[in-house]
Amino acid sequence: MTATRPLFLIVILALWASPAPAQQRDSVESLKHLSLDQLINVEVMSVSRRPERLSEAASAIQVITQDDIRQSGATSLPEALRLASNLQVAQLDARQWAISARGFNGTAANKLLVLIDGRTVYTPLFSGVFWDVQDVLLADVERIEVISGPGATLWGANAVNGVINVITKDAKDTRGLLLTGGGGTELRGFGSGRYGGALGAHANYRIYGKAFSRDRTVLPNGLDATDDWHMGQGGLRLEYDAATSHHLTLQGDWYNGRVAQPTAGDIAISGGNLIAKWAHPISARSDVAVQAYYDRTHRDIPGTFGEDLDIYDIDQQHHAQVAARHNVVWGLGYRLINDHVANTAALAFLPAHVARQWVTAFGQDEIAIKPERLHLTLGTKVEHNDYTGFEIQPSGRVSWTIDSASTLWAAVSRAVRTPSRIDRELFAPGQPPYFLTGGPNFRSEEELAYELGFRQQRGALQLSLATFYSHYHGLRSLEQVNPPNPTPIVIGNGQDGESYGAELTAQYRVADRWRVRGGYTEMRVHIWPNPGSTDTSRGASESRAPNRQLILQSSLDLPAHLELDAVFRSVGEIAHDQVPAYADLNARLTWRPIAALDVSVVGQNLLHDRHVEFGTPAARREIERGVYGMVQWHF
Amino acid sequence: MAFLNALTALASVLLLVQSPRASEYQVKAVFLFNFVQFVDWPRVTAADSARPLVIGILGSDPFGPFLDETVRGERLGARPIQLRRYREIAEIGECNVLFISRSENEHVPAILSVLKNRPVLTVSDGDAFTNQGGMIQFVMDKSRIRLRINLEAAQAANVTISSKLLRVAEIVRPPRR
Repeated sequence: MTATRPLFLIVILALWASPAPAQQRDSVESLKHLSLDQLINVEVMSVSRRPERLSEAASAIQVITQDDIRQSGATSLPEALRLASNLQVAQLDARQWAISARGFNGTAANKLLVLIDGRTVYTPLFSGVFWDVQDVLLADVERIEVISGPGATLWGANAVNGVINVITKDAKDTRGLLLTGGGGTELRGFGSGRYGGALGAHANYRIYGKAFSRDRTVLPNGLDATDDWHMGQGGLRLEYDAATSHHLTLQGDWYNGRVAQPTAGDIAISGGNLIAKWAHPISARSDVAVQAYYDRTHRDIPGTFGEDLDIYDIDQQHHAQVAARHNVVWGLGYRLINDHVANTAALAFLPAHVARQWVTAFGQDEIAIKPERLHLTLGTKVEHNDYTGFEIQPSGRVSWTIDSASTLWAAVSRAVRTPSRIDRELFAPGQPPYFLTGGPNFRSEEELAYELGFRQQRGALQLSLATFYSHYHGLRSLEQVNPPNPTPIVIGNGQDGESYGAELTAQYRVADRWRVRGGYTEMRVHIWPNPGSTDTSRGASESRAPNRQLILQSSLDLPAHLELDAVFRSVGEIAHDQVPAYADLNARLTWRPIAALDVSVVGQNLLHDRHVEFGTPAARREIERGVYGMVQWHF
Repeated sequence: MAFLNALTALASVLLLVQSPRASEYQVKAVFLFNFVQFVDWPRVTAADSARPLVIGILGSDPFGPFLDETVRGERLGARPIQLRRYREIAEIGECNVLFISRSENEHVPAILSVLKNRPVLTVSDGDAFTNQGGMIQFVMDKSRIRLRINLEAAQAANVTISSKLLRVAEIVRPPRR
């Protein structure tokens, strides 16, 4: 089917409730000309589903679909995230990635909220993400929503510069057996199996298991970086849909892995999570949802540190259409962490064991000032944390539908990055006298963001432009305790900053069999010390991101059951660390002799024998060209 | 597909507030119109081929004007397509496609037993319709409308459903009682 026609239809459908009879006739005629295949893919709004994405529509959202992921040949979540041109994604070594939006990237990038099926996966240790333990069966991902810019009102703390929302498929959409296996030069070997089925008329389930082994990266001098990585993961999902429209989901994952280190024993990583969700439409205009989860992580980095972290989280959300023009969502949340750090001679978190709580409440009203045309969303999040007490994060968004194909939106938001353990409780070395101490008075970093965006759909072309200006106050700094003595240093809030830029994305269906999508981001981040601050880094430790990047993805269906796909990326230099600009290419050729069987060859980072994406010259690792083959069987 | 997902957000903006039920039933109306084209009924006499094809709605009509608009002036070959509305099962005479409204949910078993073995394509969006012996059920799958077909029920009534329609549907067998 052509994807453009149903899309066109959505727009028509949307307008069709307007009183003009001519438009009604038009939309009926358009629908009648659809094939059955197209008709079952037309999106409609059902009574049980509210138009929940208004607030996101007035934001810089990009969606990576299952097709995008599969066609890119991505083998991990970070590789899939490279497809979002509003993210800065850099691979450090075999297992570590630096991922951020709107600058402020780093190994411990801390301004992004990352969710997998509603579970928050950034660590309270440093407000960043250990990407080596965030894995899913990529074939089961329905889509990844990537929002650049603050999403704090609805989504919660830490959504300062963006939200990544990984959504896996419902169990009823993953029935049958899926077997995948393969291997290559960098991704040495991998295999996975998934089976899904029905349990009676109302319940569906799936179980999966996967394992992989990745090769070492290379040091700049050509020697082996000894960071080879082996991982296994399994999980299940169970859904129950009662006739009375209660929807229950229970899902969990468990993983275990080892990563080599050059000078000490292997890093051991393991953990698991269990999520329970209940959703219930109370009426056509109101629904309620409750989610609770438990998440456990264990990490032992011999010679550096170890951690056992337990997270307990419960959230409740209620939505109601109030009067004709108000769509209200409110919710409450509670989060408890229990964190034990095993301190070493190199560094210490003091106290080693903490229990911390967060209580949040949010409310948001989507107001149809002029139905179908002009919408205003006002909301705020109120959060209480054990470090800084109450934090308020309000936002206002307006979207104006100019015509059926064009939308203009604008937003003003306040967001905060609340302290994490690293800001307040990190000490180095592990014993006094300390060279570095956490800031006992470290407070939240504050952001005020202004955004203006435009989205348009013309025939087979979809275009989106988001522009932004953000001002940051109280960014993390390293302050001399006894100036001018360079040490000891203490963590403070001595820097301010600003960022501005534009994110352009486009999708174009050149022909039925050829689709291209891409994006270009241009931005600047400036960070400066406030009066009285002794930090002279000018943000070098807080934001390491290129000024520009370009991503192009091409997906082509060839005759003879072949598919040829390519992803090209061009990334600007990271000036702070003298990481040179680079361009690289991934390509995939797939042969599908029968519907149940895929045979693929994928090349990653094809343009260079090896290249560097991140890190200071002394600390960097080089990423080698990789080729792997894969067989996937679905039955 | 990628387009659809990417622009769900945009669509939601556009779709806000105005009765969302309407768009759902417009698509369902077009499905009913499609069913007429992808289903064959047994013909008793040659005269049958000139008679109107009847789409009936039993119970309260959720379509508003959309079904009327969809079939207005339409023919299948020589046969005009007609729309009829029924308050109760006893009113149903000649009928090819019968949409059973949710207002009749409680009476579905009784309605189906009356229609048993009559060549009427029964359609509903009521929960468990195909399990109760109905032929085609509209199922919401997130924001899309999917079809669930009870092929045995159709075959028992001598209603032939085209493979083109079957291909886009989920075929189910009702539990044995």
